[in-house]
Parts: sequence; structure tokens; C-alpha cells
Amino acid sequence: MFEKFSLEGKVAVVTGGGTGIGKAIALNMAKVGANIVVAARRLTPLEETKAEIEDIGRNAMAIQTDVTNSEQVNNLMEETASEFGRLDILVNSAGAIKEFFNISLLEMTDEQWRRGLDSELTGTFYCSRAAGKLLMKQHSGKIINMSSLSGMVGLTTTAVYGVAKAGIIELTKLFAMALARHGVQVNCIAGGPILTPTIGGQKESMSMGRFIPVGYPDKPEGIAALAVYLASEASSYVTGATYIIDGGIMAGRYAPLGYAPYIPMK
Amino acid sequence: MQECFCLDGKIALIAGYFDRVTEVIALALAEAGADIALAPANEVALQEVAGKIKIFKHRFLITPINIADHQGVRSYVKRTISELGGIDILVNSSRLQFAKPFLEISEEEWHKVIDANLNGAFRYSKVVGEQMLKQKRGRIINLISALSERGLSNCAALCTSLGGVHQLTQALAIEWARYGIRVNAIAPGWLSTEVSSIEKPMEEALLKYIPMGRCGQPEELGALAVLLASDSCDYITGQTFLVDGGISIRP
Repeated sequence: MFEKFSLEGKVAVVTGGGTGIGKAIALNMAKVGANIVVAARRLTPLEETKAEIEDIGRNAMAIQTDVTNSEQVNNLMEETASEFGRLDILVNSAGAIKEFFNISLLEMTDEQWRRGLDSELTGTFYCSRAAGKLLMKQHSGKIINMSSLSGMVGLTTTAVYGVAKAGIIELTKLFAMALARHGVQVNCIAGGPILTPTIGGQKESMSMGRFIPVGYPDKPEGIAALAVYLASEASSYVTGATYIIDGGIMAGRYAPLGYAPYIPMK
Repeated sequence: MQECFCLDGKIALIAGYFDRVTEVIALALAEAGADIALAPANEVALQEVAGKIKIFKHRFLITPINIADHQGVRSYVKRTISELGGIDILVNSSRLQFAKPFLEISEEEWHKVIDANLNGAFRYSKVVGEQMLKQKRGRIINLISALSERGLSNCAALCTSLGGVHQLTQALAIEWARYGIRVNAIAPGWLSTEVSSIEKPMEEALLKYIPMGRCGQPEELGALAVLLASDSCDYITGQTFLVDGGISIRP
């Protein structure tokens, strides 16, 4: 049973792998056997993650990459293939850049809109396009995208992020259809409130918990198990799907917590 | 990392209408370390199933139970809890298959499908839920199918019963979220075990239609059940997971 979750011998590229969710995913994929290439704009966190992966006993590379630059993205995939001889898994975790949160929808500038879409949506497109071509040739592979509840509801304080995340869900379906007959599966994880260094600390956790059915926000490690599932043989018949991990929010659609009407039978 | 999928020391009750999917799920949970109690509502080859599960050397019970008898279900669950010490995982197997043009469905047939697939889940979730609330920990996994969320000709009874379980999954998830109980559903698309009963021309059309170009195997569902039964499922609740080869995103 546990062999189904194994990534022994696989090579995974994790964008945004230097911090937060991307880092947790990179480390956990390494724990189940994968060699990892972490990519992001800042090299220092990448080098730290690389060192932690090597401590686990896997091989790792850190490649500084701006996913909004398609040349750098193509280079990332080529370097990976050249170093490891193959690519099996792409995790599109780059994004969640704080500067695009908390901008009032009506006050947002053209520049913020464009750059927000670029960093949150275009990056995933560029990486999936480049990796997709490689994976098609191998006739095997997995692409895992990261979306969010922000892409499903009307959270106006994360406007451009929300639009991009909604786009990621559709992009997942498009790449899944394009690659279905080529042995490549493309899926998406949509997370609910999650505490990462980018997003907040203890106080945020307490206040967030008030509208989450389970009572608390997630940790990055929470998503990692789902990512391992989607990257491994365990999910061999899943494609085009967006799996939600949100402490029950979407199941209750943010209804006020504790709202429990009592209507006895007449 | 594998520890987070491990079910050592956990007790699983798998109840309802059994088919090959149910058997695969039971075997997967056993392989991951769980003790297993099976309560099939239909005729199953008891010895054969027992033989397969006993390989994993955990505690194992199999007791056929009439799913329509709510007193019977209640006393069976109480006995099982007392014998095994608790229940950590409930799998509601809503796998009775039935398809017929709507106008030909009799009252009896409609009630039988709703009772087997939906009311069974209600009955077991109530009794086992009581226990889980006491434990402040539990996992409920409803085995339904993709027909819980979409229509198909001749499948009104199935779609309605499974749609009900899809909703039960969401409602219970919300009601019990604060008590450490997680409720989710697994919804397979077309499985090879079902397709064998379809005529050849329909089967060919189906294979062309499914983006991955093939039907699923029941064996491709076990790992998801293990994930949803495990500690890794701490933040996942109220969700129906489609495992369908891409059929639901098909333009």
C-alpha cells in the first residue's frame, strides 16, 4: 500500500520551493524518495531547502528562476533534464506574493492587475507548457497546480490573486485534456486559509479560526500529503481535478459558525 | 512521511452494499494497518473475502447485516464497538447499482435504491457518529460515484440516492467539524468492473469519451481511502473526490 505513495527514482521540479507550501511539498516529496529541483526568485531560501533535502538523503538542485520569464522557465526544465536525465513531476507553487493581497478591487492600478496576473497565473502556464512538452515525450508525468478558495468565492481583498487562482483551476483542466492521451496527469490543490511566513502568525491563526468549521487554519505540511498523493501512483486515475483542502469551508460555504437552526416536524 | 498514512491501531467498520470497490477499500485499509469489521448488506463470498483480509494479520470480523433494519444496525454497531474497543473509521459503501428508464421504476425499486445507498449511510453514520463524538475523533468515508453530481439516462434512482450521500457528506462534515470528525466521499467514474455489463458499441464509445482513454480499476481507489482515513486528512472534510480519468472536464 505504501509503495503507491512512493516517489522513489522520480524527479520533481517545485517552483516556489524555497518557502511555505512549496518548501513543505519539496521536503515531503524528498521523504518519499524523489530528487528535487527547487526554483524561485530568491536564491537564499532555495539553498536552505536544497540543504535540507540533501540531509534527508536525496539529490537536489536550486535554480534561481522568475516564472514570469519564459526563457528562464525553459532553462529551468532543460537544466533539470540535463542534470537528472528526466522530469517526472512539476509542482507550480510559485506565487502568493504578499504585495497583491489587501488591495481594494476598485483602487487597484493597471500595473498591479497585470503584475498580479503574471506572477500568479502566467507563471503556472509557462512552467506547465515547458514541462508538458518534456513529459509528453516520456509519455508519463504529473503536474500539480496550486489554487485557493480565493479562486472560488468573492474575496475582494485578494482580487487579482483570486482571479488568477480561478484561472489556475481552468488551466488545470485544459492541460489535463491536452495531455490525457499522452500519459500525463494534471491536477490542482485548492487550499483554504493556511499559515505560512508570508501570511501570518499566532494572532492571525486565532482570528482565522473563527470562520473555519474545524476551528483552525492549515499548516503547509497539511497540503504536502495531498501533493504526494497527486504526484504518485496512488492517483493513477485522477486528472483535471481540483481537490479542496480547507477545513470544511466550502462544504458550508462560509455560513456563520454555530448557526444550527432547529425546526421540529409539524 | 509514510507514517502519516499509517493506520496502525485504528479500527475500521465497512458497511453497506459491497462490490469489488468495497473489497479493494477494505484490503487497502487493512494493508495500511487497520483492524477491519465488515458488515455487508448483500450476498458476498464471506470465506473468500475473509481469506484475503486475514493475510494482514490484524483483527478482523465479518457479519452480514440487513441494512434496512435500523435496530439491527444499531445493536450490531454497539456490539462491534464493545468487542473492538471503538471505531475510528466508518466506510459507508453505497454501491448498489441500478439503472432503468425512469417510467419503468417501481415504488419498491426506488425505495430499495434509496434505502441501500442513502438510508444505510444515515443509519451507520448515526450510531458510529455517536461513538466518534465521544472519542472526539473519527473518519467517515462514503463510497459513492460520479453520478452523485451529474445525471445519466436511466440513472435517476442512483443519481438521487448518491446525490443524497454527497449532501450528507457536506452536512455532517460541517456539523461535526469541531469534534475532530472528518467526513468525505470517494466518487469513481467508469470502472472496468461495471463496463463488462455494457454492450460492446457503448463500451467503445465510452473509451473514446474518457480523456484518459480507459476505465478505472477498483485498485486505483484504495490509496485515496487510506489518505482520507489517516491523520493526513486532518484538514480535509466535506469533499467528494472524483477519480474519473478526466471525464468530468470533458468538453
